[in-house]
Amino acid sequence: MNDTDTLRTEVRTWLKKNVPSGWRAAMTGVDQDKFVLAQRAWFSKLVAAGYATPHWPEGWPGGGRSLAEQKVIFEEIARADAPRLILVFISLYHAACTLFEWGTPEQRDTYLPSILKGEIWCQGFSEPNAGSDLASLRTRAELRGDRYVVNGQKIWSTMAQYADRCLLLTRTAKDGPPQAGVTYLLLDMRSKGVTVRPISQITGDDEFCEIFLDDVEIPVENRVGKENEGWAVAQSTLASERGLTLVELSQRMRYALPLLAQAMRNNGRIEDATLRTQLGALASKVNAVCALADRYLLRRISGEERPGDASIVKLYYAQTLREFVSLGLSIGGLQGQYHAGFMRGSPQETGNWTVDFMNSYNWSIAGGSNEVQRNIIAERMLGMPREPKTWQVASER
Amino acid sequence: MSIETAELQVSAQQALRGLGIAATEEKSWPMVVELGWLLVSVPEELDGLGQGLQAACALYRELGASVVGAPYLPAMLAVEAVCRSDHPARAEWIGRLAGADFATASLFGPDGPTARTLSGKLRLAGVASAVASADKAAHMLVATADASLVLLVPRQNGIEIVSRPTWDETRRLFDVHFADVEIADEWILARGPAANALVRTLATHRDFALAADSVGGASALLELTVEYLKTRRQFARPLAMFQALKHRCADLKALTEAAEALLAENLESAKHCSDAEAEVLGKQAKSFACSAYFRVAEEALQLHGGIGMTSEHVCHRFLKRALLNAQLGRQNASYDLDIAVGILDGA
Repeated sequence: MNDTDTLRTEVRTWLKKNVPSGWRAAMTGVDQDKFVLAQRAWFSKLVAAGYATPHWPEGWPGGGRSLAEQKVIFEEIARADAPRLILVFISLYHAACTLFEWGTPEQRDTYLPSILKGEIWCQGFSEPNAGSDLASLRTRAELRGDRYVVNGQKIWSTMAQYADRCLLLTRTAKDGPPQAGVTYLLLDMRSKGVTVRPISQITGDDEFCEIFLDDVEIPVENRVGKENEGWAVAQSTLASERGLTLVELSQRMRYALPLLAQAMRNNGRIEDATLRTQLGALASKVNAVCALADRYLLRRISGEERPGDASIVKLYYAQTLREFVSLGLSIGGLQGQYHAGFMRGSPQETGNWTVDFMNSYNWSIAGGSNEVQRNIIAERMLGMPREPKTWQVASER
Repeated sequence: MSIETAELQVSAQQALRGLGIAATEEKSWPMVVELGWLLVSVPEELDGLGQGLQAACALYRELGASVVGAPYLPAMLAVEAVCRSDHPARAEWIGRLAGADFATASLFGPDGPTARTLSGKLRLAGVASAVASADKAAHMLVATADASLVLLVPRQNGIEIVSRPTWDETRRLFDVHFADVEIADEWILARGPAANALVRTLATHRDFALAADSVGGASALLELTVEYLKTRRQFARPLAMFQALKHRCADLKALTEAAEALLAENLESAKHCSDAEAEVLGKQAKSFACSAYFRVAEEALQLHGGIGMTSEHVCHRFLKRALLNAQLGRQNASYDLDIAVGILDGA
C-alpha cells in the first residue's frame, strides 16, 4: 500500500462517517439562506478534518498536499457524493491561491485565517461590457493619498450577496494595451458605496449578482501586486483550481449515470432501444471526460502540461454535460417539464432535468466560454493564427 | 504507457515514416514480420516480447496513423488465440505464425460457420465473413457460431475464398465458405466454454485494436487538415485564420484527445479486471474511437474542399478506413446497447 492508498482509505472512512445523510433531500426546494447555513456547517467540518485546503502550501492548516494527494481527496469526495463547496469556492481557490502567489505576508496573515473560519469571497472581474474580452474592463480606480477611489460596475459575481470580500479588477491607466492598466484590489464588501443586486436567473434562482461601486474607498495596502500590473495577478486567480474541479465533476458525472437509468425505469422506458443506445454512447463519453481530466492532472504532476490542455478538458466536459442533461430531458418527457423544487449545492446532475439543463450553461459560458476555449485550443495547441486585431464595417470601406 | 511501449511506438513511427501514407500490403507486411511486431504481446515463456495489449495497441495506433495495408490485426488475433489456447504445439505454432506463415481471421462478428461432429470429427459448414487477406493466408482462425475455435488450412477442398472488395482499399476482405469441411484434431484450439471465453477475449483484443487504429487515424488526419488550412490562402489570408474553421478544428482536437485518453485509461484498467469487465472497456473504447474517427474524417474532407474529393489526395483513404472501422466487430450502436446494460442493471 503506498501513501495515496493510505490517504484514500482515511478520507473514505471519514466521509462515510461525516457526509450529512439525506443532504440531497434536505437541500431540495429550500431557499438560499438555508443552503448557506448548510454549506457553512459542511465547510467547517471539512476544515476541522483538514480536507478543505489540501492545495494550500505546507505550514497552513490542511495544506502541503501533493497534487496526487489532492486528486485522491477530490475523487473520494465525488465518490461519497458529498455536497460541493460552492459558497466558499472563490475564497478557498481564487482568493487563497492569489494571495499565496502575490500577496504580502501581512495580506496573507490578515485574510487566510478568516477564510478558514468561513469568510466568503466573491469575484469582481466581469463587467457588462467586459466578458470574454475581460481586458476591456472600465471600473476606474484613482489613487488619492493612501486610498483608491473606485467607481464602476461588476457583474456575474457568484454569491456576492453573501460575500464579505471581493477580488476586484480595476482600471488605473488608459494608455497602452488594455492589459497594461489593470490594478488588482481587495474590497471589503461592507465599504460605503458598495451596492449588491442579485440577478434573477432562468432557474428563478439568484446565485449571481451585480456589484455597483460609487466612490468606494479601498486602502492602498489592499492592492495585490503593483499598480497597473494586476493583469498578471488575475491570471493566477483564473488558473487557481486548474483541473482539480473537473476531476471531481467528471467523476460525479460518472457516478450520476444511474440517475438516467432510474429515470428510464420511472418513466416506463427501460426497454426503449433508442434511449438505451444513447445511454451507452453517453457512458463512454463520460468515461472519456474522466480519462481526460485524470490524464491532464497526471501531466501537470509530471510537468508535461501542454498549452491548451486545460481548455480541452473544460470544453469536452461542458459538451458532455450538455449531452447528459439533454438525454435526461428526452427520458423525462413531459414529466420533466413540470415545475419542481430543485436541489442546491449539488453536482450538475440532479434528475430535475429542466433545471439541470439550464444550469449546464454554467459550464459552457462561465470561466471562459466554449468559444474562448476553442480559440485557445486552435491558437495555442494547433498553432492556427489569430484573427487580425482591427476590423472595419464593410460599408465604411 | 511503459517505457518499453513508448520506445516501441517511436521506433514504429520511424519505420512507418519510411513507407509513407497508405503503404500497400505487399510493401508493408514484410516489414511488420521483420520487425517482430507479431511477437509483441506473446508471453516471454513462448519466446515473445511479453509487452501485452498496450504495446500492441501502440502499433495499431501507428499503423492507423499511416493507414497501412498490412493485415496486422487478423494475424495478431491468430497468434493471440494460439498463445491463450492449451494446444500442445503452441510454441511451434507461434514460431511459424510470427514468421513465414501468415495466418488470418475474421474481423467481424461473433457469428461464423456452424460445427457438427460426425464419427468423432469436427465438420464446418457456413460462412466466415470479413476475413482479411484470406487469399494470402497459410492458416485461418475460425470461431464457429457454436463454441469451437479452430486454426485451419484454408487451401483445401470444400473451402471457397471469395473476394469482397470494400471501398476501403487498405483492407482486403473475403468471405470464406465452408461446405461440410472435416477439421483435423490438431487444428482445434478450444471447444465449449473454453472456446467461448477465448473468442470473447479475442473480440476484446480486436475492439481495442480498432480503437487504437481509429485514434491513430483521427489524430494524423486532423494534423494534416490543420496543416492544410495553414497553407491554403483565400481572401488574402490563410484559411486557418477563420474562426469558423478554427472552432471546428478545436472541437475535433478535443474529441480526438478524449478518444486517446479513453483508450489509454481503459487499456490500463483492463489489465486489472475480469474478462467480462475488460470486454465492456474494449467496447467503450471501440465505439467511442470509431465514432470520433468517423467525425474527424467527415469534417476533414469538408475542410479540404475540392482537393479532398480527389483520389490523389489522402483524405479519402482515411475516410474510407474510418467508415469500415465503424462496421468491423459490430456496429457502434450494438456496442452502445451492450454498454448500457451495465448501467441499467446497476440502477
